[in-house]
Amino acid sequence: MTWQIMPGLLVPDTRTQPFAPGGRRMSASANSAPPRLRGQVAKSAAFKPSQEQIVLLITLLLLVVFSVALPGFSSIANLLNLMRSISILGILSLGMGLIVISRGIDLSEVAIMAGSWSVALIEIQKGMPVFWAASIAVGIAVAIGLANGAMVAFIEAPALFVTLAAGFVIYGVAFWFAPAWVVYGPKDAPGLLFLGAGHIFGIPVPILVFAAAAVLMHLFLSRTSTGRFIYSQGDNPESARMAGIALRPLIVLEYVIVALVAWLAGLVWIGTTGSMQMAITQGTMVFDVILVVVLGGISLVGGRGGVFSVVVGCALIGTLLNAFTIMDINSEVQNIIRGVVLLAAIILDNWLHPRDEETARQGD
Amino acid sequence: MNVALTPPRGAAAAAKGPGAAREPVLRIVNGNKIYGGVHAIEDVSFDLFPGEVHALVGENGAGKSTLCKAIAGAIQLTSGDFQVDGKPARFESPRDALAAGICMVYQETSLVPTMTAAQNIELGNEKLITRFRTLNIQAQQLLQSLNFHVDPATPIGMLGTAKRQMVEIARAVYNNARIIIFDEPTASLTPEEIVHFFNLVRDLRARGVAIIYISHALEESLQVSDRITVLRDGKLVITADTADMTREKLVRFMIGRDISQTHYSHRAGHAERRRERRGKVLTVENVTMGTTVKNMSFSIYAGEVVGIAGLIGSGRTEIAKIIFGALKRNLIDGGTIRLHGRPVRYNVPKQAINDGIAYITEDRKLNGFFETMVVDDNVYIGKLATRAGWRFLLSMATRGKLANYWVDRLKIGTLQRKAKIVELSGGNQQKVVIAKSLVQDPRIIIFDEPTRGVDVGTIPEIHAQIRALADEGKAVVVISSYLPEVLSISDRILVARMGRIVAEFDAADATEDKIMYAAIH
Repeated sequence: MTWQIMPGLLVPDTRTQPFAPGGRRMSASANSAPPRLRGQVAKSAAFKPSQEQIVLLITLLLLVVFSVALPGFSSIANLLNLMRSISILGILSLGMGLIVISRGIDLSEVAIMAGSWSVALIEIQKGMPVFWAASIAVGIAVAIGLANGAMVAFIEAPALFVTLAAGFVIYGVAFWFAPAWVVYGPKDAPGLLFLGAGHIFGIPVPILVFAAAAVLMHLFLSRTSTGRFIYSQGDNPESARMAGIALRPLIVLEYVIVALVAWLAGLVWIGTTGSMQMAITQGTMVFDVILVVVLGGISLVGGRGGVFSVVVGCALIGTLLNAFTIMDINSEVQNIIRGVVLLAAIILDNWLHPRDEETARQGD
Repeated sequence: MNVALTPPRGAAAAAKGPGAAREPVLRIVNGNKIYGGVHAIEDVSFDLFPGEVHALVGENGAGKSTLCKAIAGAIQLTSGDFQVDGKPARFESPRDALAAGICMVYQETSLVPTMTAAQNIELGNEKLITRFRTLNIQAQQLLQSLNFHVDPATPIGMLGTAKRQMVEIARAVYNNARIIIFDEPTASLTPEEIVHFFNLVRDLRARGVAIIYISHALEESLQVSDRITVLRDGKLVITADTADMTREKLVRFMIGRDISQTHYSHRAGHAERRRERRGKVLTVENVTMGTTVKNMSFSIYAGEVVGIAGLIGSGRTEIAKIIFGALKRNLIDGGTIRLHGRPVRYNVPKQAINDGIAYITEDRKLNGFFETMVVDDNVYIGKLATRAGWRFLLSMATRGKLANYWVDRLKIGTLQRKAKIVELSGGNQQKVVIAKSLVQDPRIIIFDEPTRGVDVGTIPEIHAQIRALADEGKAVVVISSYLPEVLSISDRILVARMGRIVAEFDAADATEDKIMYAAIH
């Protein structure tokens, strides 16, 4: 009689992912992956475009359609406007992208942007030098990031609720400091306003800031060990922990980075509009950011996607939102369209990464 | 045994044992399943007679699961004849198969944990209005007729694996299954439960139910089956009567080469090869954690392989994780762990890794590797996570060098370097997980079920690596539930039972019986 026989086998998930960190595109081969065969590698059957490629294509299509159909869309003024609004959305999405890759989320990102800068602007109105006010804004942002990170990492509260609650608290506290829906910035602080209002060689600075931030983020995620750790955390936090990665400090760092990115976005915002509106914390902006991230290809599951995904998603959403403004579509309809687009993104994600019995784990 | 149910369809035509001339209840001729251009099974012919237990063996990737899923209706064959009772059939979904009397009992049982046993038996056949009393009485009668001691009103979540299997079988019988497919049914059963399970299989067979039995345990397959089919790389190798088969022949058919010196025959030369044990590196003193580890004490020496045997749930994995820092022992009266005499307490694995301790997990899919990354990245992350190996900017050169070294040393299949780790076979994945830990330059290495889900050809390679590590002077611990493995690879064997170490044997004195006697409770 034989005793404890070797326990059964576990066949790992044969889902393959089309996104390498840094946004290098590879064609998806999820549905065509066979169950593991010894010595053989899954080959993709039909060409399945990556999510980023699809979104890019749709964006180009929309650009063409809108230039033709909407008067004023392709005017220089509007295109510059488009680029400016994309920049702010894009910078915010870079931060959100990082945190989603790590399998977290930060619903307080927009609140951090508005809250930290509202306080700073009020101080400037009261006479504080711009540099110190900006530093206070940094301090506030970092403090919130630390608090969020500490709660998620050490108290192990779910990120969704921690950051949601944090958003409300920030709104409340900032409003108490700066009891106005709109806080106006100084009219003549060139240092402060340059990032938002300036031009270099005719290109609006916001887009350059976005580009620089994107490049930095890309290098950080794909060329540094910390970036690699963020991906491994998103892929499998338990594996990361067992491999010896210090997860808790990493999580705190991630939330601080998001907060700093939000601060940067705020700086550009002030340059473009000359003010900071607390109203946006109550609006749907943060969901636009999440929409960009998910649509662009960074799955909420974590461990996938990169800066290219953010850029591509941002281009699409920015174009759409710009067209909505021109078409003067009222906000309810806008929300419906946003919701539909998000649904479409999720369905697309499911089509590209099907989860069915063939990819489920069973003995072989 | 009293049968209070209507006998399954076809029972009248069923013979009582193999050998009688009869119609196959299932027949597949030249079955193929192609995924994206690659054959999962190729030209496989298979038949099944009523009242027969037909074992299906083969390594990982051989196609056993694919074949059975096709039979059970979960997937469809790309081509080939598929006949049930002599008539061509096509199942679009498992429901069709169930209607035809084919039921598959999966390795991880497909029951609803929050529902009771009675409700699960009824699953799929619920009436519009459920009267729980009738439901429970019905289930009770069914279970009793099968001699299963399961309370029909218990939620599945509270039942152990053995009882869950019983509920699954009861469900199959309730659905008048004529063909039942078991996928690794004994993987999580204790020895007594295995005996009981074999009796069940025999009873089902006596009723005329045909059984397909997938198992990696060759001894079991030989014991319980009437015929055996061997698959290899998606193709049929042979279908033969069990009476004509032996374990060696099966292994040869499965891998296509002769493992002349089987991986478990090392014991013969053990006495001469005896390693010298060097200093004591780690002592565990009266460590306690909750209810799983109770006052466990033992020591680990450098240059020695210590095997820890014991039943599942005896606390071996838990103590390993406590040593590694993945779990924490009790704060008060939790005992002491000393590394080179110095008491240590780790809160995170990172600290243990920095002190030179490595742990190879028993469930690599759960927490062993990073599934979206390739082999090279998995290994490199192991290096980056150490204090000595960390650098802020990644170095592709270091990454490549490390990967090449480990692929070479552990003989990881080179065809698969570019593939994501999920696409590798179980054996290669295990090797990558091992490489990821060894690259951290540990001095104490704990292997937890190192050859679980690893194909027969790769097992000796992993064992060789384990021995080589001990020869180099590292302290090696191997936790395994497979006794021949423990016996062949260890210099010293500890036996765990219910959270304690209850016996210690020198490899030369240990036998399977002694170990099992100590391990059983």
